[in-house]
Amino acid sequence: MPLLKCENVTKRFGGLVAVDDMSFTIDHGEMMAIVGPNGAGKTTMFNLINGVFPADEGTIHFEDVDVTHFPAHKRAHLGMGRTFQIPRPFASATVQENIAIGAMFGAAGSEISVDEAMEMADHYIDLIGLADHRDKPAGGLTPIEKKLVEIARALAMKPKLLLMDEAMAGMNPNDIDEMVSFIKDIRESEGIAIVAMVEHIMRAVAGLAERVIVMHQGALLVDEPTKEALTDPRVIEVYLGKPAEEFDA
Amino acid sequence: MKRAHKYLPIFPVLFAYGALLGYGLFFPGKWQLVSQLAFYCTLGQAFNLFMGMTGYVDFGYVAFMGVGTYGMAISIYHLSDKGLGLGIIVIGLILAAVFSTLLSLAVGAVALRLRGAYFAIATIGVNEGFRYLIEGARIWNGSEGMIFTRHMKQALGKPAAMAIGTFWADIMMFGIAILAAVLTLIYMRNKVGYALTALREDEDAAKVMGINVTKYKIIAFITSSVLAGLLGATAWALKLQYVYPEDVFEIHYTVEAIIIVLLGGAGTLLGPIVGGLIYGITKYYLAIVLPGFQLLIFAPIIVAIIVLFPEGTIGILKQKVMGTPLQKYII
Repeated sequence: MPLLKCENVTKRFGGLVAVDDMSFTIDHGEMMAIVGPNGAGKTTMFNLINGVFPADEGTIHFEDVDVTHFPAHKRAHLGMGRTFQIPRPFASATVQENIAIGAMFGAAGSEISVDEAMEMADHYIDLIGLADHRDKPAGGLTPIEKKLVEIARALAMKPKLLLMDEAMAGMNPNDIDEMVSFIKDIRESEGIAIVAMVEHIMRAVAGLAERVIVMHQGALLVDEPTKEALTDPRVIEVYLGKPAEEFDA
Repeated sequence: MKRAHKYLPIFPVLFAYGALLGYGLFFPGKWQLVSQLAFYCTLGQAFNLFMGMTGYVDFGYVAFMGVGTYGMAISIYHLSDKGLGLGIIVIGLILAAVFSTLLSLAVGAVALRLRGAYFAIATIGVNEGFRYLIEGARIWNGSEGMIFTRHMKQALGKPAAMAIGTFWADIMMFGIAILAAVLTLIYMRNKVGYALTALREDEDAAKVMGINVTKYKIIAFITSSVLAGLLGATAWALKLQYVYPEDVFEIHYTVEAIIIVLLGGAGTLLGPIVGGLIYGITKYYLAIVLPGFQLLIFAPIIVAIIVLFPEGTIGILKQKVMGTPLQKYII
């Protein structure tokens, strides 16, 4: 039984088909990347998976539960976590409170008291190495620190599936390598499936994912192991265009 | 944070209300001012529970005070000859709470689906709509209002009716203020408060974190509305002993509530007290020093304070005491 199963999922915004008949599965504990150029429909696909808005057609199953019509917070309770491209920590709350909010309302939230959530938050603060910032408002952190707080907040939800939206956008190669190894570590320690969305940083894709889904104009282009996907001529064409000699003059 | 420590900030609240009450009791001739200040503090405290904690601005807020006033009026008007004594006031408070709950459920079911400016605009209509409904459909005597001074005297005797209007209604108002503050603190220290902080900062992110934002918005909305209903029932119905729709469905009071919350610091516990005192005292003395011009002077003062200190008095104070022992008390 796959962890997540999307079947013929379609989303339209007026006349624009943002996600077009997407079908794929994600297994427990899998490390996967969704890639595609700007406008390919990756963020829309993420939003459909975790219920920011509903799909127009198709079904989404999470561990055999049909979640197609579930609101976002119910999907979170079932075990979906999410980070955003531009980190969105709760600015006025402290780092500890931000992460504790994840623990309080996430998959295990209903059994966790506020005090227990604060203790859990401390564990994740140590994991991301921000112990010095524990009691500072998250709004005052640097962008990378905010990103880490957001990852910790999502992990504190105890998800089975973590959707990471452009976790490495705007980072230098050094930071990317660090983030890649950090993400690999948390996947090992938490034992969760991670889907990372990446626009064009192939260094991250190659280092991170075992399998790659490439989206193009809202549709699924390839769904292959990473190595094959990154050398697939169709993928190269989407990113770089065809070689000049293949065009008829 | 230790369990007992979490509720320490209630002490400055009790101290502030105790001092205000003491000032009124022991300084002759100041009760009128104290009553006015207590009204503003209570209004701010009740309004803050929704606006401050969720970031939603409800321009129709005074409608909850209005229906609360009617709740008390109806009880006294219709039950004065039943020999219930003070029971009519208890029934009045219950009716005020029920009316404001029902109205908040009706408004919330529609308006809480909207965000930001759309929510604000939708709620403006509630207030005006309700007033015209009462006047046009002649509900509860329509625009003629309800005058129940006589009924109160009949039910409770003349001295008791007088004492309630001039003193005990104000004491009840203090009680509502403290109730509002206690509820605010309890919410802040429990999941409700964290959910509200999250949805105030970023509603979409809050949903994705597993927060049922609709549920928590409604909790805050109903709590805040019921407190407004109780405030209307005491500060207006019991004190004035009459009610006219054009008096109680008056948007002016909502604007005052917004100003008080912003002056003190939205979403803080002590903010509404500080905001209510600043607003009430300034308004009172401006009316004495510059009668007729007070609003002209007052408006730029308010604009200046809100521009200079967007986080409000308590917001600034919180930053100042961070890291000191006072931090535990100022929120």
